[in-house]
This record gives sequence, C-alpha cells and structure tokens, in this order.
Amino acid sequence: MMKSRPLASAATILVVAILAASCSNRNVSRIEPDTVTDLSGQWNDTDSRLVANALIEQSLTDPWLSRYSNANGGDAPTVIVGDFRNRSSEHIPVSTFVNDLENAYINSGAVTVVAGDVDRDQIRAERDDQQDNARADTRAQLGQELGANYVLQGELQSIQDEEETMRFGATRKEQIVFYQVDARLVDLESNAVVWAGQHKIKKYIERKPFGL
Amino acid sequence: MNRYLMLGTLLVLAACVPKKVEEQPIMENNQRAGDASATIASASAQAEQNRANASAERGAIQAEALADCAPAVCDAVVRGEIALGMNEVQVLAATRTTEDAWSVRHSGPSLVMVPEDERVVPSDVVGNVAMVQLADNRVSRYGYSEAQGIRLVDEPFDATTEGRAQALAESLTREGDEMAARGDLDAALDRYDRVSVLTPEDPMIDYKIAAVLDKALRPYEAMIQYQLFLHRLNLETIEAEGAAAAQLAEAIALAQQRLVILERQAR
Repeated sequence: MMKSRPLASAATILVVAILAASCSNRNVSRIEPDTVTDLSGQWNDTDSRLVANALIEQSLTDPWLSRYSNANGGDAPTVIVGDFRNRSSEHIPVSTFVNDLENAYINSGAVTVVAGDVDRDQIRAERDDQQDNARADTRAQLGQELGANYVLQGELQSIQDEEETMRFGATRKEQIVFYQVDARLVDLESNAVVWAGQHKIKKYIERKPFGL
Repeated sequence: MNRYLMLGTLLVLAACVPKKVEEQPIMENNQRAGDASATIASASAQAEQNRANASAERGAIQAEALADCAPAVCDAVVRGEIALGMNEVQVLAATRTTEDAWSVRHSGPSLVMVPEDERVVPSDVVGNVAMVQLADNRVSRYGYSEAQGIRLVDEPFDATTEGRAQALAESLTREGDEMAARGDLDAALDRYDRVSVLTPEDPMIDYKIAAVLDKALRPYEAMIQYQLFLHRLNLETIEAEGAAAAQLAEAIALAQQRLVILERQAR
C-alpha cells in the first residue's frame, strides 16, 4: 500500500506534463506589415522596408530624372534592373527591397521599367510563338522592344562585431551588426553612374544572462 | 601596503569593465517603419505635370516644324533625323526635344546649339547629337558624337550611308595608324580589317594590312595581301602627279620589294 503512493505521484506528473505539452501556448496574429518586430537581431522585413524607403526617396527626388527628361522632350528614362548582390554573411533576399524600388518607379510613372533578362526570355518566346499561331491582327510585333537607358545595380554588405563577457558565471553577449546597401544607376552607353543611393543600418544586440 | 594592493585591484577591475554602448535606439519594437507612398505620389504628380507640359510643347513644335517645310526637310523631321537646311524649330522636332535640351549660343548671323547637359545628350535616329550650327536660321553643319569622336556633316553626301562609312573609315584608319605606331599590331590589324569592309575599294588599306602582317611575322598572309594590293592597282593608269599618287607609287615599290623578299624566304 505504501509503495503505490510514489507510483501514483509519478503517473500524475506524467499526465500533467503530457497535458501541458499538448496545450502549448502558440499564438499567431496578423499584424501591420510596417510594424517593427525585431526578434533575433538578424536582417528582417523592417530592414528591407527601411532600405526600400530610403532608396525610393533618394532616387525619385534626385535631379537625374529631370536631367534626362529635359534632354529628351519630357520622356521618362528607361531602366532595367540588373544584378543586386548580397555580399553579407547572412542569407538575405535582396529582391524584396529591389522590387519595392522597381514598383515605385513603375507606379510613379517617372521611370519606365523594362523586363529583366529572365522575364525577357519568357516574353520573347511567347512573342515568337504568336508569330506562328496567333491571328494576324492580334500578333505582338517584333522589333518593338524598348531599349533601356540605365541599368540599376547594387550590393548589400555587412560588418559584424561581437563580444562575450563572463560575470558571476553567466555569459553576457553583445553584438553590433552593420548593413550597408548601395544602389546605382549606370548609363548603358557611357558607363557613367548617374545616380548613387545608399542606406546604412546599425544594430546593437545585447543578450543578458537570466534576463538581467 | 594593503591600501596600495586594494587600489591596484580596483584599477585592474576598472580596466576589465565591459564596454558599454550608450547610444539611444532610434527605432524600437512595435513602432512603425512607414512607407514611401507619399514620395511615390509626389513623384507621380510631378511626372504627370512634366509629361503634360512637354507633350503640349512638343506638339506645338511639331506643328510649326511641319507647317512650312521643303519636302526633304519634312521627310527628315518625320523620320526624326536632322538635315541640312532645317531651321531651329525643325531641329527640335527632328530630335523630339524642347528648348530645355539645348544651350543656344548666338554669334552674329550664326547660332550654335549644343546639349544643355553633357551627361544626357539629345539624339536623332542616327545618333547622339553633339552640336548643330545654323547660319541665317538654316542648319549649315551638325555633328554626331560617335565611338571614334565627333563626326561632322556639312554637305549632303556626309549624311548618306556612304558618307557615314567614309567618315568612319577615315577615323578607323587614323586609329589603326596610331596603334601600329604604338606597336599594337593586332589592334591595328583589327581597325584596318574594319576599314576594308567599309571601303573595300581603297588599295592603301590592303597595303597597310600587308605591312602590319609583315611586321607581325606572318609572311604568308602578308604575301597574299601585298599581291592583292598590287593586283588591285591598275599600274598603267597611275599618274605620278600629286602627293597622293606619289604616296601610292612609294607603297607599290615597297610592296614589290617586300614581295620579292618574302617569296625568296618562302622558297
């Protein structure tokens, strides 16, 4: 009789543990996309948004647009999006802010954007197919592509610095992460850089032991 | 003694204190990162306004340019090509530009239009326009900015395909000569080859190609080229008059001389 008590206690603890595990406290909620939500300190959506906002602001207010427009009877310059390289140590999808910049160009009407090399091949294949299969009056004409005046290129780089300190047997970790995004518009004829934009982000990440 | 020991320990501890970052954060969790919609809307409104203004101005320019023009000039305006005899408005219409694109300098009865901004040069269907000169409000000369430099058009032949090829051939020959003088024989040969496509009837290019091949120690090709040069010339019709003929006669003598040497070496 005396031996069954510890057994019952163990069984109770096991049941409670199973129940607790099955009722894990997961909470998913939709939040505004522009809310700052820093969890790990790594590159996230807020950084992408900040970079996009800065590049859009710098690019659409720079005199390169009016210079081109004045020399070409009010026409908008034509831009093709080229390589945007991630040279940081993290996996960063650069196309999020590059697409934001591209969308801003298109929606503002201040810049004409032509399809990049990957999209272009698909479109050309479709146009070629139309020459054989589409009704004559609905065929897309050949040789009507817009030539780009400028190519948008850029890169993202990062620098990290970190230090761990032991105090009272606990480890305190501090980290500085610096991101620099550079974008430039290069004249396709002359290779002249007509606009250069830049945005820098510096983060201080501190991990204290025991929440101290 | 103990006091000094304590002071020393304190100093060591002070030196080991972790570095602190005292900067205040500029953005924290749950704040808003904002978006660029205001910038885009402002750029959009500005672009729309500019487009409307430019469209109205270009429409007026086109109408004025085509109102009273000679058939050849009208054709050129419609093609979008500058032509001799155009007036200032017709130049604007041909280049699809407005006055904003040009800097106009007057000098007596003549007027020179140059791009307002060297970084963004106006163009017509032929190329980038470097300058347009008008005398008595008619285009008397204009120039294109091309890979080999500025190409001037000051007579109707210069504006034709043949005229353009001739001008290009002249500048490529000049480049080839410079490269040959510098000792860059491959580059010189490349320029001369391009010239021989543009002006296939020019015997002096055959001679230059032969000479470069000879210098590059390619005797068989040089021999063929020397023979081609001599074959092309109708020796009996050459009149030994003038500097050009003298130069050609000298080239013939040199070619014959080199041919004899190369053929002897080949044996």
